[in-house]
This record gives sequence, structure tokens and C-alpha cells, in this order.
Amino acid sequence: MNDSTLKWGLLAPAFLIAAVVLIYPIAQSFWYSLHDWNLSQSPELGPFVGFENYLRLLTADPEFWESARVSAVFSFFSVTVTITLAMALAVLLQGGSRLEVGVRSILVLAFSMSPALVGISWRFLLSPEFGAADALIKWAVPAWRNVPILADETTAMIALVLVDAWHWVPYFMLVFIGAMASLPQETIEAAQVDGARRGRIFFGIVLPQLKSVLGIAILLKTIFSIKMLEQVITMTKGGPGTSTATVPFRVYETAFRWYDFGYAAAMAYFLAFVMLILAFVYSHFVLREKR
Amino acid sequence: MSDASPASNATKARRRHRKQMLASTLRVLLILVVAFLWLAPVAWIAATAFKAPRDVLSLDILFTPTLQNFVTAFGPNYQLGNRLMNSTIVTIGTLLICIPVSTAAAYALSRFRFPGGMAWQLGLLATQFVPAVMIIIPLYVVLRSAGMLDTPASLIIVNLSVLIPYAIWMIKGFMDALPMDMEEAAMTDGATRFRALRDVVVPVAMPGIVTATIFCFVVAWNEFFFALILSRNEAVTLPVSLMSARTDRGDAWEIMAVIGLTIMIPMMLISKLVQRHFLKGLVSGAVR
Repeated sequence: MNDSTLKWGLLAPAFLIAAVVLIYPIAQSFWYSLHDWNLSQSPELGPFVGFENYLRLLTADPEFWESARVSAVFSFFSVTVTITLAMALAVLLQGGSRLEVGVRSILVLAFSMSPALVGISWRFLLSPEFGAADALIKWAVPAWRNVPILADETTAMIALVLVDAWHWVPYFMLVFIGAMASLPQETIEAAQVDGARRGRIFFGIVLPQLKSVLGIAILLKTIFSIKMLEQVITMTKGGPGTSTATVPFRVYETAFRWYDFGYAAAMAYFLAFVMLILAFVYSHFVLREKR
Repeated sequence: MSDASPASNATKARRRHRKQMLASTLRVLLILVVAFLWLAPVAWIAATAFKAPRDVLSLDILFTPTLQNFVTAFGPNYQLGNRLMNSTIVTIGTLLICIPVSTAAAYALSRFRFPGGMAWQLGLLATQFVPAVMIIIPLYVVLRSAGMLDTPASLIIVNLSVLIPYAIWMIKGFMDALPMDMEEAAMTDGATRFRALRDVVVPVAMPGIVTATIFCFVVAWNEFFFALILSRNEAVTLPVSLMSARTDRGDAWEIMAVIGLTIMIPMMLISKLVQRHFLKGLVSGAVR
């Protein structure tokens, strides 16, 4: 066997599988998006309509833009809250004491939970009257006693953001702990000897060196947040009303509740396009920072 | 200086000492609050699995534990045994295909030049931006016309779309860091390149392969969205069966808790491994 046969032979299985489960669906989705096709009406692909689905999306679908707004709000707050909390907990739990290591394993357990389980568990914990977390919150903040957390537009969104943070903070915390451990210790030790305060060491020395890790973490979390779907399905079902119906949730409903495959495919493409633009802008920004 | 006013220095030291004590007490308190926030919800769900239905809706911490929920969950209404079996088949099937195939591809991409150069790597990264809903629409149509809806095989196929790029990326990152010397030594000793790969590279790259395997195990085991769309009765996996705890007569939370506990147990068992490998995998896979 010569090297050329070997190299293609080794790549072929993965490539063939990817062709079937990735490349084909990506191309086919685009083809669907150019058609008016409702699966519940016809098992065959409907008439070709060009970019009409995209036009409808951009100009004639206020509900889609409402979901885009919901996604933007959710993503912005979930990224901000998750990254900030993860950094704070990384500082708090970076040590090697038994307490810190133990608490870190507790957090990792939360992260390795199925996203569906996270969503459904919190729906249980937050239900009025018998939800343990609900009771605790209302005991701590009596002013909210009459707020049904998942049935109020604002608090449902807050809950969605915080539950998502609950799920992702452990992961990013460990990323940051890892990054901090790999920093050169000399400058930090020198600053300590000089009697600098902890806060100054963190903001003046540690944080600037974490810039690139922080940038990548923010980009990653942004992608995860924009794609997040499981907790909307299991925890809020997009409600109350459409107040937590994010774009992926709308695509999911359009495709698998209304079976409007053509239009759903167009929405999915729009979503992927937005993510790609974000990634480009971002990587440009991060790469330039590095230089 | 120091012997000029020993008394005031001692007060200063004591004050600083007290301040440090206060700070470290606060820190421990804060850590305990964090532990509570992340442990209590999981513990509450675990406890709910052992509560009689009438205790589920009470907020009392004390209750008489029962195993009745497990009996109900494994009974004909919830078929937990079948769900557990499906999840196991799908997860193992996904790993058995994903890991060897990805290891081979990772080696090829790590050691050989391909026409197109960086395009292969960028392609792997680009899969991150593809929303799951975009992949599932055409695959649903294909699997439906092939009569494969509601089969574990369809779930394995769809899982591969997410996991193969990840696994290649992770294992490749690991192989890139391995020196070529060993393979070359083996090859000058007369071994074919394939044998060098099998007998020399794979054993050395094992930690990277283990990392990818654990990562894929966790993702496949926990996967919900694809299974929700592709399964009805026969191929329902554990995460999807969580939804079946919502019945017409209201939510059977104690059953949900039993299913949840069943999903979490393997994660608890391998949590040390997860901590060591999974996170490393996600970082190297996505960040590098």
C-alpha cells in the first residue's frame, strides 16, 4: 500500500459519512429553502419559488423578527452573565484545597447533565406552589411572592438566562482556571511581594493576559447561546406567549409542528448566516488584538 | 523603626490578622453558597426520585423514601428499561463508528498534505456554525422515505453529523503534537505506514483518543433534540422520555426524577474522567 492510497483510504470513511450527514443536508436545506413546500400537504418537494421565502422572512414576518429580538436579548444576557460568573468563580475556586476541588466537581456534574434534563428539572424547581427554588426565591424576596416565574414574560426570560448560565458556568470556569494556571507566575509573585492588592493583581496583571482566552470564550458562548434550543423546548416552550421563543425554536416549530419545510429551511439559513458574520467580525477582532 | 513603637506595630499586625481572617471566612462562606446553588437542585431531583407522589408536592425535607417510582418507571407506561436500552445502543453504536473513523481521518489530516490545504480544517470548524435544525430537516425527509424513522440506527447516523467533526478536530490536535520520529523509526525498520499507525501512533495517541471518546459519550448519551424529532415509540431515548413524564393527568415529577437520575448515574460514575478529559477536549477541540 503506498502513501497516496493510504492517505485517501484513511480519510474516506469519515468523508463519506460527512458527505451523507453533513454536506448533503446542508446543500439540500438550501434547495428546500427555494421551494414552497409543506410536508403535511405533499410528500414531494413543492414548486420552486426562488428567494420568495427569504423575502417573506425579511419583509413580511413580524413574528420572525420578534424571535430574532428574543434571541438577541437571550444571547446578550446569557453570554454576559455566564462569562462574568465563570470568571468570578474561577478566581474563587482556582486553588487546590480540598474544599475548592470538591466544589469544582459538583459544578462539573451540573455541566455533564443532559440539557433537556437541566431544562425540565428547573421547570419543576420553579413551578409555583411546589417548586423548591420558587419557594426559596419567594422566601428571600417577599416582593415577588405573587410573580409566577415561568408564566411572566420578564421573569421567564430571566429564568432562561440564569438556568443557561447554571449549565455553562462550570465549563467556562474550568477553561479560565486552566488558562490562569498556565500564566507565568513571576509577575504575579513580584506584585504580591510589592504588596499589591488582590483586586489590582487580578485586573492589572491576570485579566489582560487572559484577553485571548476570554475572546474565544465569548465567541464560543455566543454561538452556543444562539443555537440553544433544548431548554426552550423543555422549560418554557417559548412562552409565555412568544416571549422566550428564540429563532432556533421558531425554526423547529415551523418545521416539525407546521411542517413548513421550505420556510423553515430559509430561516435556518438566515440563522447560520448571522452566526457566520458574527464569527468573522469576531475572529477578525480577536486576531488583531493578538498581534 | 520597628523597635520605636512595638505596641502600635502589634496592634497593626493584629488588625491585619483579623482582616485576613474575615476575608478568608467570607471566601469560605461564598464557596459554600456556590456549592449549595449547584448541588441543591441536583440533590432535590435525586431525592424526588424516592418520594411518594403525595410527598413530591410538599416542600418538607423529610419524607419516607420509597422505590415504588422505579417500579412504575420500569412498568408498561414508561418503559424505562426499553429507553435505557435504546440510549445504550445509540451511544455505543455512535462511539463504535465515530472513534475509529475519526482517528483514521485525524491521522490522515495530521500527517499528509491534501489538495485544498487549510480548507479541510476550516470545513471542520465551519460545522460549528451549522444549526442542528438545518441538518435535521433534509435528514428527516430522507430517513422518513427510507422507513427509518423511530429506529436507533437513524439516531446513530444523525449523531455522527455532530460528533465526527468534533472527534477529528480533537484527535488531530493531539496527533499534531506527537513527534514524527517514532513512526519514521518504525518505518525504517520495515513496518508499513499502516502498521506504524496501528502499532505506534494509536497507542501513543491514546490519551487524545480517550478524551474524544469521553466527549462523544457524554454528548451522545445526553443528546435530546435529534432523538425528539426522529423517535416516536420504539427508539425513544432517556432524555426524550423525560417528556413522557408530562401526562394528561398532570406532570409525574417523581417519574421525571427517576429518569433524570438514570441519565445522571453514568455521568456521576465517570465524573472524575469527565473533569479531566471532557473539558480538555472541548477546549482543544473548539479553541485551537
